[in-house]
Amino acid sequence: MPETDLRDTFGNFLVDMGKVNNNIVVLDADLSSSTRTFKFAKEFPDRFFNMGVAEQNMVGTALGLAISGKIPVVSGFSIFTTGRAWEFIRFACHDNLNIKIITTHGGIVGKDGSTHNALEDLSLMSTLPNLTVLIPSDNIELIKILEYTFNKDGPIYIRLPRGAFPTIHDENYQFSIGKPDILKEGDDICLIGTGYGSILALESALEIQKTLKISIKVINLPSIKPIKKNKLINEIKNTKGVVVIEEHNIYCGVGSILARIISENNPLPMKFIGIDNSFGESGIRELLLNAYSLNVKNIKEKIIELIKIN
Amino acid sequence: MELSKTVEKKLLIDILAIKKDIIKMIYQAQSGHPGGSLSCANIIYLLYNNIMKINRENPQWSERDIFILSKGHAAPALYAVLSKIGFIKRDELFTLRDFGSNLQGHPVKNPKFGIEVSTGSLGMGLSIGVGCALAAKLDNEPKNIYVLLGDGELDEGAIWEAALAGSHYKLDNLIAIVDRNGIQIDGSTEEIMGLEPLADKWKAFGWGVIDINGSNLNEMIKGFERVKQFIGKPKVIISYLIKGADVSFMQHTRKYHGRAPNKTEYEKALKELEEIERSIV
Repeated sequence: MPETDLRDTFGNFLVDMGKVNNNIVVLDADLSSSTRTFKFAKEFPDRFFNMGVAEQNMVGTALGLAISGKIPVVSGFSIFTTGRAWEFIRFACHDNLNIKIITTHGGIVGKDGSTHNALEDLSLMSTLPNLTVLIPSDNIELIKILEYTFNKDGPIYIRLPRGAFPTIHDENYQFSIGKPDILKEGDDICLIGTGYGSILALESALEIQKTLKISIKVINLPSIKPIKKNKLINEIKNTKGVVVIEEHNIYCGVGSILARIISENNPLPMKFIGIDNSFGESGIRELLLNAYSLNVKNIKEKIIELIKIN
Repeated sequence: MELSKTVEKKLLIDILAIKKDIIKMIYQAQSGHPGGSLSCANIIYLLYNNIMKINRENPQWSERDIFILSKGHAAPALYAVLSKIGFIKRDELFTLRDFGSNLQGHPVKNPKFGIEVSTGSLGMGLSIGVGCALAAKLDNEPKNIYVLLGDGELDEGAIWEAALAGSHYKLDNLIAIVDRNGIQIDGSTEEIMGLEPLADKWKAFGWGVIDINGSNLNEMIKGFERVKQFIGKPKVIISYLIKGADVSFMQHTRKYHGRAPNKTEYEKALKELEEIERSIV
């Protein structure tokens, strides 16, 4: 059975939340069919506001709804929402308002091309005080993240992909804010991924262990901000090096955040896999990921380089 | 409704006291925006004193009308008015812009002071007002949302996104007031980025529009009555005002947009405001 799009899981979850919490209102910028907020719109037309192609006013309106006691969910494409409306989001964070920014089309979108990729959103969002930044790596984790999001007061950004991810968690998975999620134990090298990066990390570790005689640990990091640094350091301190894998520009991305935490607390050699200072281009997503270094071969090379350092 | 002479006199004296506080605050801080604070002090005071539904005992009263100072650089005017109506202690006014003060250079959300949301980056307040107005409609609450816009900030595209949304959602509980003093930082609004025909633009966006002489209290009070004629649409009051109003050397000039008076200027400004006060009494 094919995997469900994370967008659909999000759209269905919103409908369920709408039934139990009348304060939830949803705003979209003319993309409700893509983001799946149309499901909420159909069920609760009075609590859905299509703001047209106007992300700034969409987030500004959400600020007003939030100060009036509503719980606004703002959706749209990741780069348009975080980019065009960044300063409005900054004000939501400045005032610590209860606004949930949940976008789709994070990372490489595929055939729509470079203009629609979101390879800078995590930098834009992680620099904002008060904001929680979350990325699911599969549908199970997404549901846990959404449950957390609607039980927690304050601004939260969630980045979803355009399509589906394979399931890497079982139903007993517990999401804990700020805590690294161990996908695979190992002693020598640690791969840390987020979102699709976690899927690729796990797949690569299993593949690479067949040929390289090393033990690889795999950590999934659903919570980019906050990160509980002691828990992270405990997990990596006995390994000889770390490779960070993210579907994002490696300049000011998750790798940069981890490099700061690791170098300050428990310095280890690190390598970074992500999009290297590029906007990307059009094409089939799988081919693009491969072309822009997110592949098993590249991860294996980085691991070999780290082993050589040691 | 015409204000009685006694009531009008009392209002004018209150506004002059507020203006004196504005000058003192900015002088003491040696930093701030006198021009655009003096231009709109009368509107903000009139809103809180005569127009808006508020509870002077409780700034967080749930049935209150909402005021958003979109032109956040007029913070001294807002703070001085909030002090006059009892939400901020007067002593605190003179900590403006100090390290550790509750009164930053631009307003920061502070429910205890009646400051609903932070502002200061221009062009954001009308969108926030749209959100408040939608929330009030959802909750069937009969409250009005007042947003004070500077004319310079109408250059921001987000204002016009919000203008579209306000009329699309028929937000008749949303009332924008434009401080049409005609001067922005670099020069006159028409020189820098022409806004005229401004009333026609708002009309084209589906708003009920009136022009008033904002320096005339009676005309302003009547303006808030007159906009009630527009049913099922948001309203905008284009209020012709004077930048730096009531301090001769700050009037009609961009020089004091964001510049504090020196000692001589400060004393002259206070003296002029006191002279006006004496002429009224």
